[in-house]
Amino acid sequence: MISIKGLKHYYTDADGKEVKALDGIDLDIKKGEFVAIIGANGSGKSTLARHLNALLLPTEGTCTVGGLDTVEEANMWDIRQQVGMVFQNPDNQIVAAIVEEDVAFGPENIGVPSEEIRPRVEKALAAVGMTDYAKHAPHLLSGGQKQRVAIAGLMALEPDCIVLDEPTAMLDPQGRKEIVATVKSLNKDKGITIVYITHYMTEALAADRVVVMEKGHIRFMGTPKEVFSRVDELEKLGLEAPLAAKVASELRKSGIKLPKDIITDEELAQALCQ
Amino acid sequence: MLSEITLGQYFPGNSFVHRLDPRTKILATLIYIIAIFLADTPLAYGILIGFAALVIAVSQLPVGMVLKSLKPIWIIILITMIIHMFTAPGETVVFTWKIFKITEEGLILGTKMALRLILLLLFSSVLTFTTSPIVLTDGIEKLLRPFKAIGVPAHELAMMMTIALRFIPTLLEETDRIMKAQTARGADFSSGNLLERAKNMLPLLVPLFVSAFRRAEELAIAMESRCYRGGEGRTRMHELAYKSIDYTAFGAVIFLAVGLAVLRWGAGLCAL
Ligand SMILES: Nc1ncnc2c1ncn2[C@@H]1O[C@H](COP(=O)(O)OP(=O)(O)O)[C@@H](O)[C@H]1O
Ligand SMILES: [Mg+2]
Repeated sequence: MISIKGLKHYYTDADGKEVKALDGIDLDIKKGEFVAIIGANGSGKSTLARHLNALLLPTEGTCTVGGLDTVEEANMWDIRQQVGMVFQNPDNQIVAAIVEEDVAFGPENIGVPSEEIRPRVEKALAAVGMTDYAKHAPHLLSGGQKQRVAIAGLMALEPDCIVLDEPTAMLDPQGRKEIVATVKSLNKDKGITIVYITHYMTEALAADRVVVMEKGHIRFMGTPKEVFSRVDELEKLGLEAPLAAKVASELRKSGIKLPKDIITDEELAQALCQ
Repeated sequence: MLSEITLGQYFPGNSFVHRLDPRTKILATLIYIIAIFLADTPLAYGILIGFAALVIAVSQLPVGMVLKSLKPIWIIILITMIIHMFTAPGETVVFTWKIFKITEEGLILGTKMALRLILLLLFSSVLTFTTSPIVLTDGIEKLLRPFKAIGVPAHELAMMMTIALRFIPTLLEETDRIMKAQTARGADFSSGNLLERAKNMLPLLVPLFVSAFRRAEELAIAMESRCYRGGEGRTRMHELAYKSIDYTAFGAVIFLAVGLAVLRWGAGLCAL
């Protein structure tokens, strides 16, 4: 679905100096896959995300989405329809003063005939569990609900892939739970490819694959079990493994025999009780 | 406190007037305003008042609420009335005090002007009471579209209004929050003379502007991500369409305007 080869992206900062935000990224994302991207602040996660729907173009290397090269200007709108993007601040991505009007914004932009827009809006709101709020004013919703409206706005474009750039960073625990559950269900039930950027490691546990970034490079990747059992390496990159993985690692170091792939609380509890 | 300010004054309902197309309501209001300026006899004013009363009744709005919309400008109405009373040229003096005198002509002219203002306001407030700001925006966009050829940015204006409607409550909430935070740190927004107060507002405006610009930038990126590329080739979920009730409304208000025109000039025409 998405194929990134030798991708480099350089910014020029305020002093005219070159910042190598991405310095040679190779990544293939399969259709229907759920990929989580983790990495310290400034490691280039947002820059990578913005290449996936042609908001940014590569300085070097290529990025193709569904076979379309993002560099070709003619592909831009097809790519943006295929790959939706959710941002961190729930307030600053909702355009209209009524939920359903906002969800209709995307289909209206690509010229979907009037009579087909309403069914799309209803389907999209149902997919994120916000049907009851169709007529509400967005500024009165909770953070988690606003993010779900933002996701519905993308679903109405019938995308193949949704990229979420730290969607839970400004939410309370309840809102975070809502978003993770929504994203999981879109992936499992609707087959939407998910690229999920987060700095909450527990959220990344839901992914099929976790990609670890540092200073514009991919350091390593694998299943959540493979990645989160490398507790010490993660720590060197400024990342904290889930608590259970850390505890298990400490216990192993002090001589207690535990399997290497413990990453959730349940697994830890089970292993300790044996 | 700030967030209690309600936007617009939409009063939801399902009356005949509520169900009219927003374009019908805007155009009918304009025609009614023209009719107001055609009126010059008590009979004509009586008809205008009757028509306004009929529209308010049909719209099922609480009469008190509609009348309240006059409140913010009653002082302007009063001043207009007084100025006309004292300045109109005329012979029949009704009242004098020192150099001031009120003539019969002045009295009539003053009342007329006040009545015109009141009718104009009442009628246009029925428009805003019965039409949600969002629908009103759609109506304005559609009405302005033919003028795109002469450079009127119809879609852009409508988009600006849409975004303003969406973000004004958010920005008000934010202002409220910053004000509370700064009051807690000892800032004072409610005492001192006008200049002092304006100066005290400065530390409020700076963070507010910074945040508004950040929001605008993020919103622009989010809109681009959702395939926004201007008004070209855009469709709408609710396409506006005139229905039979719209033709009834147009018929009524055009009949009113023509009737008043005949009342004004009809006698002259007959004499010819
Ligand atoms: N518009 C920009 N101009 C200059 N430098 C930027 C810009 N955006 C990001 N950077 C720099 O690029 C690097 C990667 O940023 P980013 O992709 O936002 O990282 P992350 O999302 O992982 O925190 C950082 O060093 C950041 O300072
Ligand atoms: Mg980021």
